[in-house]
Amino acid sequence: MKVLLVEDNERVTRFVTRGLREAGHTVDHAGNGRDGLFLAAGGPYDVIVMDRMLPGQIDGLSIIETLRKSGNRVPILILSALSDVNERIRGLHSGGDDYLTKPFSFGELLARLDALSRRSWSGGRETHLEVGDLRMDLLSRKVSRGSRAITLQPREFKLLEYLMRHADQVVTRTMLLENVWEFNFDPQTNVVDVHISKLRQKIEFELERPLLKTVRNAGYMLTADE
Amino acid sequence: MIRSSAVNLAVGYVLFGIVALIAFAAPVWYAWQVTIEEGRTEILQEDAQRQAEVFRREGVAGLTHFISERVSLQIAGERVLLFTDPQGHVLAGNLSAWPRGIPDQSGTYTITVEMDGRPSRAVVVRAKLPGGYDLLVARDLARYAPVETRFWFGLGAGVAILSVMGTIGAVLIRRELLARIQGIRQTVSAIMQGELSHRLRTRSSGDELDTLSQTINRMLDQIEQLVHGIRNVSNSIAHDLRTPLAELRSRLEELLVTRPPPHEVYNEVEAAVADVDRVIGIFNALLRLAEIDTGMRRSGFVEVDVAEVAEEAVDFYVPAAELKGITLSFHGGGPLPIAGDPLLLAQAVGNLVDNALKYAPANGSVRVETRRHDDGTVELAVADNGPGIPAMDKPKAAQRFFRGDASRGTPGVGLGLSIVDAVARLHGGSLELDDNHPGLRARLLTRSGAPAAEAANALPIAG
Repeated sequence: MKVLLVEDNERVTRFVTRGLREAGHTVDHAGNGRDGLFLAAGGPYDVIVMDRMLPGQIDGLSIIETLRKSGNRVPILILSALSDVNERIRGLHSGGDDYLTKPFSFGELLARLDALSRRSWSGGRETHLEVGDLRMDLLSRKVSRGSRAITLQPREFKLLEYLMRHADQVVTRTMLLENVWEFNFDPQTNVVDVHISKLRQKIEFELERPLLKTVRNAGYMLTADE
Repeated sequence: MIRSSAVNLAVGYVLFGIVALIAFAAPVWYAWQVTIEEGRTEILQEDAQRQAEVFRREGVAGLTHFISERVSLQIAGERVLLFTDPQGHVLAGNLSAWPRGIPDQSGTYTITVEMDGRPSRAVVVRAKLPGGYDLLVARDLARYAPVETRFWFGLGAGVAILSVMGTIGAVLIRRELLARIQGIRQTVSAIMQGELSHRLRTRSSGDELDTLSQTINRMLDQIEQLVHGIRNVSNSIAHDLRTPLAELRSRLEELLVTRPPPHEVYNEVEAAVADVDRVIGIFNALLRLAEIDTGMRRSGFVEVDVAEVAEEAVDFYVPAAELKGITLSFHGGGPLPIAGDPLLLAQAVGNLVDNALKYAPANGSVRVETRRHDDGTVELAVADNGPGIPAMDKPKAAQRFFRGDASRGTPGVGLGLSIVDAVARLHGGSLELDDNHPGLRARLLTRSGAPAAEAANALPIAG
């Protein structure tokens, strides 16, 4: 994907740019608000990473507001050192699609960018989801693998639905907490891992092919690929 | 400043009193002057009329006799009477001659007459009788002068008493106020010197100054608690942040010195990142605490069902509990809607359950209960059968970075209960730590009341 990074801190820029390029993405960089707005408006980008605090007259949120007013719907992830819920709400209200607090891990950033860039083309009102031979009927709320029916608790269903909607993408623990449980804090024990392993026991029987993979230092990925 | 304000107050009250007194006296004076005076003149005229009647019925001799009798009997003490013939000779009465200055026709006049050798103002009624006879009926106004004088004296005395009392009152008020304000000033000065434990003296009178003192004392309690908290936090930060930072530093320095093969370097770097994450975790918790303590989140209160929040948290933690062989159960009696912050309440329940699971023994049990008290307080209790918190540690348990003996060796930064406590306070309630015989029974009480009728639209938080 083609990413625009608007960020003034050189170290963060180097860290993000190198990481994204290694993951096979194209990165353009702007070091201040004016250049950022100019590049973003020139587009097209699959996703924009926007720092909130930028040198010069234009800050991150005003760039986003300007873009949205001109009808630009490119997915934007806001990077900020401000972690207050109120700041988060302000960021999302100004037109941002996701909000990541500094300091962050690159795995978290990459997973969120991936999810954002795909959201722009998926998101129709599908009636069922499929990953390999795993099938979820969203209307009757039935899940099956091949000919085997799988019984899930409501929360397990929601967890699997989120994973299937983000199939072939890395999904981090924080993303799961925010989207499946709607929690905004970090539980000290690794409860998410326990939920994942319970879900894994239900969707992967002994002889079946593993679908739910653990991605080291990042999170999980549901994929039919080897 | 105080001095002048007390005097101003007293002077103001005295002036107001005088004005009130005058406002009261003026109508009395007016009523006297107009009503009574006119009434008396009317009586005078009726008197003259009655004597004219006597003259008509009984003639000159009859009236002469009538007047002489009245004068000698002093029936009407203040009355001045004179009856003359057409030549002006006095027939009867207590005047020696017809006074000057009275017009030569019937009517009512106010003139100055000579009475017992002294001039005095009098109201005079002259009645011209048939045959040239003349009748004068008058009243000596000087008779009322003492009463008038007494009225004015009374008024003057009233003003004087008022002024004296006002001045005494001012002195007393000033002394009282000054003494109490002096006390407040001394206490506040002591506090400014750093004696944060000082408090203003209060009485049980409940007057304005007392209420003010109580409010200031509550403010001081809060300030002391905050300052204490900050001192504790700086100490704890020094300890809790330094430890992982020191580990991180030595880890990195060791790499520099020993220069191990790449695969070992990666392991060490990974461990270093984990160290940094721990530090970030502490910072996040501190920032979250600061955010809650400002009370800003209250503006975003929406309708939250505490029972539902608790049930979802239990639902979330059940697999983790099962893994440890702990029975985690939820017991609630129906929906408990309050006005609150759903994210923070979820975090508070999460922290409590997290703690309980950490300390409950294998095969132990953790119960989460919700209920509403009669006074509207909504309670959420998390009870475990672990070691509990010793009574002496309970007041400190919710303090930042406090870690009891029982928690040594378990992961955590010692901010979990602080956050629960802050969330409870944000919702007008408190965190109570009770004994569960054995174990800990942590009760999160919220008193933020029923949700507002028009529930504000919840804003999307997660992306």
